[in-house]
Amino acid sequence: MNPDKNSNNLRQLAERLVQYGKKQGADEIEVTLYDGLEFNVDVRLGKIENLVEAGSKFFAIRVFKDKRAASASSSDLSISTLQLLIRNAIKRALLTHSDEYAGLPVPALFKVDEASLKLYDPAVSRMKPQEKIKLALTTEKISLQDKRINNSFGASFISHELRTVLSNSNGFTGEYLQTYCSLHLGLQAGQDDNLVEDYWFSSKRYLKDLAPPEEVARKAVERTVRQLNPRKIKTQNVPVIFEPTMTSWLLTFLFSCVSGMAVYQKTTFLADRLGEKIGNDLISVINDGLLPAKPGSRPFDSEGVPSQRTVVIEKGVLKNYLCNTYAARKLNLVSTGNGDGNAVIPNNFYLEAGTATPEEIIKSTRKGLLLTRTIGHGLNPVTGDISRGAFGLWIEDGEIAYPVCEITIAGNLGEILKKVEMVGNDLEFESSICGPTIKVAEMTVAGI
Amino acid sequence: MEEKTRMVLPYEDHFHLKTLDLKKVLTLALSRGGDFADIFLEYRISRSILMEEDIIKETEESITLGLGVRVIKKDRTGYAYTNDLSEEKIRIAALTAAAIASLPGASPQQIHLKQIKPGKEIAVVRSLATTSPLQKKIDLVQKAYHSALNFNQTIKKVQVAYGESTQYVWIVNSQGLSIKDTRPMVKLVAQAIAEKNGRRESGFYGGGGRVGLEFFFRKLTAEEIGREAAKEASLLLEAAEPPAGEYPVILAPGHSGVLVHEAVGHLLEADFIRKKTSIFWNKLGKKIGSEQITIYDDPTIPGFRGSYRVDDEGTQPTRTLLIEKGRVKGFLQDRLSARLMKKSLNGHGRRQDFTNWPVPRMSNTYIDRGEYSPEEIIRSVSQGFYVSRLSGGQVEDSGKFTFSVTLGFMIEDGQLTRPVKQATLIGTNLDILQKVEMLGSDLEFGLQTGTCSKEGQDVPVSDGCPTMKISRMTIGGLR
Repeated sequence: MNPDKNSNNLRQLAERLVQYGKKQGADEIEVTLYDGLEFNVDVRLGKIENLVEAGSKFFAIRVFKDKRAASASSSDLSISTLQLLIRNAIKRALLTHSDEYAGLPVPALFKVDEASLKLYDPAVSRMKPQEKIKLALTTEKISLQDKRINNSFGASFISHELRTVLSNSNGFTGEYLQTYCSLHLGLQAGQDDNLVEDYWFSSKRYLKDLAPPEEVARKAVERTVRQLNPRKIKTQNVPVIFEPTMTSWLLTFLFSCVSGMAVYQKTTFLADRLGEKIGNDLISVINDGLLPAKPGSRPFDSEGVPSQRTVVIEKGVLKNYLCNTYAARKLNLVSTGNGDGNAVIPNNFYLEAGTATPEEIIKSTRKGLLLTRTIGHGLNPVTGDISRGAFGLWIEDGEIAYPVCEITIAGNLGEILKKVEMVGNDLEFESSICGPTIKVAEMTVAGI
Repeated sequence: MEEKTRMVLPYEDHFHLKTLDLKKVLTLALSRGGDFADIFLEYRISRSILMEEDIIKETEESITLGLGVRVIKKDRTGYAYTNDLSEEKIRIAALTAAAIASLPGASPQQIHLKQIKPGKEIAVVRSLATTSPLQKKIDLVQKAYHSALNFNQTIKKVQVAYGESTQYVWIVNSQGLSIKDTRPMVKLVAQAIAEKNGRRESGFYGGGGRVGLEFFFRKLTAEEIGREAAKEASLLLEAAEPPAGEYPVILAPGHSGVLVHEAVGHLLEADFIRKKTSIFWNKLGKKIGSEQITIYDDPTIPGFRGSYRVDDEGTQPTRTLLIEKGRVKGFLQDRLSARLMKKSLNGHGRRQDFTNWPVPRMSNTYIDRGEYSPEEIIRSVSQGFYVSRLSGGQVEDSGKFTFSVTLGFMIEDGQLTRPVKQATLIGTNLDILQKVEMLGSDLEFGLQTGTCSKEGQDVPVSDGCPTMKISRMTIGGLR
C-alpha cells in the first residue's frame, strides 16, 4: 500500500486534466493530486488499542473563467467524476461575480531545489509496523513506572508519507514527496476527583531526529505531576512566562493576525501597519519555507509559488504580511509562497531565539506565573484581545512554588509584543509554528 | 444538473458494489480471528458558497467517496480505509484491518446480510438543497449579506457562507446487519464587523440543520441571519471590558447549552468511562449535582443538526437519559464500549467520514426545563454576570473547563445593565453542577451551526438549556 514509487502516472493525470479543463473552456486551471499513506498505532496500558493503515488519493482543482473562480475536490478519482467536476466548476464559475484579483500566479522566475529541503526520509517509509508499535509501547511503559501516574490516555506512533503533484495552465508542473513521524503520550495523575492531565510529543520528518521514548515519557510525566495539588490565586497583574509550547500558541494567534487574508479583510488589528513598530526590539519573527528537514518546509505552495524566507517582524517593526497570490494582489504586494487553497498557511513561522536560558528567566521573576497550558477559545484577531482558561506554576522569589488552577489570562497581543522582557534560547522546531520561552512584563491573571 | 440522475440511482450505484461482494469482504476481515467486523461506505456531495466584499467570490463542490473496514478483537480495533473501491484495494483494506487479530487461519464464518430499514425519518426536507439550482442559494447568500450590511452605519464588512451536503451511507457488519441512510444538511451563517471610533467588533449568527432549503424562507430567513449578526457586532461596540473575579452567573437559554455539552456531555462518553479517565467513571447512580438538573442526549429531534436515524455503525438511536435530578443515569455508547461494559446500545457511535472509526459522541444535548420564570431568576441576583452568548469551550477529562463569552451583561439589583464583551468562564464541572441554583421554564436550543471535535473528528451537533443560575463562577477579564 505504498504511494506509487513511480509518480509518472499522477503527474500525467494532473497534466491531462489541465488540458481537459482548457479544452472545456476554462481560462485558467490548477490541478492538485495527493497520494498519501497513513500509519497510526494507539497503545494504552500495555496493549494495542487501535491500528490504522491506509493509503488514499485526493484531487483538488481551481478554475477561472472571465475572472470568476470556482473550485472542487474529490476522493473519487475515477476519470468520469474528475471530468464532471471540472465541467461543473466551469459552469459554476459563471454564476459568481467577476473579481479582478482572481487568477493563477504568474510563472515564477526561480525554482527551489527539492533535494536541498530534505523532506523525505526513506527510513520512515522502510519502518516495520512492529517497530512502530514497540516505540509506542516502550514510551508508555517507561512513564507508568512512575508511581505518581495513575492512568494513561495512551501512547501513539504516527507516520505519514505524502506525494503532492501540482500542475497548472500557466505551464507549472511540480511535485514533492515528504514524510512525517511522531510519538505522543498522554497521562493522568491524582486521586478521586482531583485529577490532572498533560501530554508530550515529538514530531519530525526524519526518524533519527525523533525524541527517544525515554525523553517523551520523562517530559509527559514531569508535565503531568507538576500540576498536582493546585491552589487558587487571587486576581492580580503579574509577569507571565510562556513555555515554548505556549509561545507557539501565542505565535499561532500572531500568524492569523499577519495573514494577508485577514489584512485585506481588515479583520486583524495589524492591518495597515506595515513599517510600524508593533513590538519591542526583542521581537523578530520569521517565516521560512526553506529550512532543511523542518516541518513547514516545502519547495512550492499550493499555487506553485516557490517557498522563501520572509521577515515578518524585525526588532519590533512589522515588515511583511504573509500572502497567497490573491491576498498579495489585493494588497498590492507579492505572494510570499504561503498559499494553501484559498487560505494562507505558515511554513516555519518562528520567533527568533534570544540568549537567556529558561532557568534564568524563571530566576529573574520575583512573583509571577509560568504559563504551561491554556484551554478554551477566546482569541479575537480584530482587536488582538486574548482571554483564555489557563494552567500554570506560580513563581515566588525566582523559584517555582506551586501549581495554580482555575485561572484565566487576559491581555492583548499588541500589548504583549511591547511588553516582552526576555526571550529564551530554547527554540525547537517541533511544529510549523514555534518559539522559545518568553517573559511578558505584565498580564492580568484572574483567579478568585 | 448531473446530480439529479445520481439521486434516482439505486444505492449500490454510488459505490459500484454488490451486497455479495461485501459479505466476502467481511469474511476476509474476520479471517485472522477477529470478533466483529464492519464496513462503512460513504458517498457525500457537498457544496459551498462564499460572499464577501460585495461579490460572490467562489463556489466549491466536493465529493467524498470511500469505505472503511473495522475489525474488533476484544478491546483492540484494526482499521483500514480506501478511496479506491476496486476489488483489489478493498481486499487489501480488509486484510490490513484483519491483522489486529493474530490467529493464523481462523475458520471462515458464514455471514448472511439482512437489509434493515432505518427508523423514522428525522430530516425535515421539502426541497433537497443538493438538487436545487445553485442560483437559488446564491440569492439567499446575497439576501443575508445585504441585510447585515444595511443594518446600520457601523457595519463595515460582512461575510456570508452557505454550505450543503447530502451524505449516503451504507453500513454492513459481521452480525448480518445491512442498513442504508441518506442524510441531508444545510447551513447559512453570517459574520458582520462593526466599526466606530477606531474600535472594531464582530458578530455572528446562522442556522440550518437536517432540513431543506425552504427552512430559510419559513423558519429562519436569510434576512434575519444577516440582521442578527449585524446587531451583535453593533451592540459589542458599546460593550465594556469584563470584570474579573467570582460572581453569581446567569446563563441565557439556548446558546449556553454548549456548557452542558462540554462540561457534562463529553465526560459521559462511554470510552472515557471504561478507560476510567473521566471523573464520572465510578459515578453511575451517584448524585453529582443539584436536584434540578436532568440532562438528555436526543439524536431523534426532527430537523436538528445533531440528529440521525441510524448512527455510523448501524444502530438506531434513542433519546438517552444522562443525568436525572442530579444523578448519573447513563452513558453515550458506541458498539465497542457497550460490549466491553456489558451495556445496551443507544446509538451514539459516530464518525467524521470513512477515514475514521466510530467513537461515542453526542448529538443534541440539553438540560431539561425547570420551574422558574426567566425574569424571576434575573431578579434574584443583586450583583452578577449575565451570559448572553457563549461561543465555545473546552473541557478536560478531569472536569476542568473554560468557556468564551462573546457577549454578556452586568446584573445590578436584579436587572441587566451594561453590555460586556469577551470574558472567559472557568471552573470544574462537579463544582458548577452543585452550584446550579435555579432553572428556567424556557428550554431553548442554540444556533444550528455547531460542530464538535474529538480526537480529530468533527461531527455536527446542537445543544440547549433553559435560563440557568449558578451561585458562583470565576470570570476572567482584564481587571
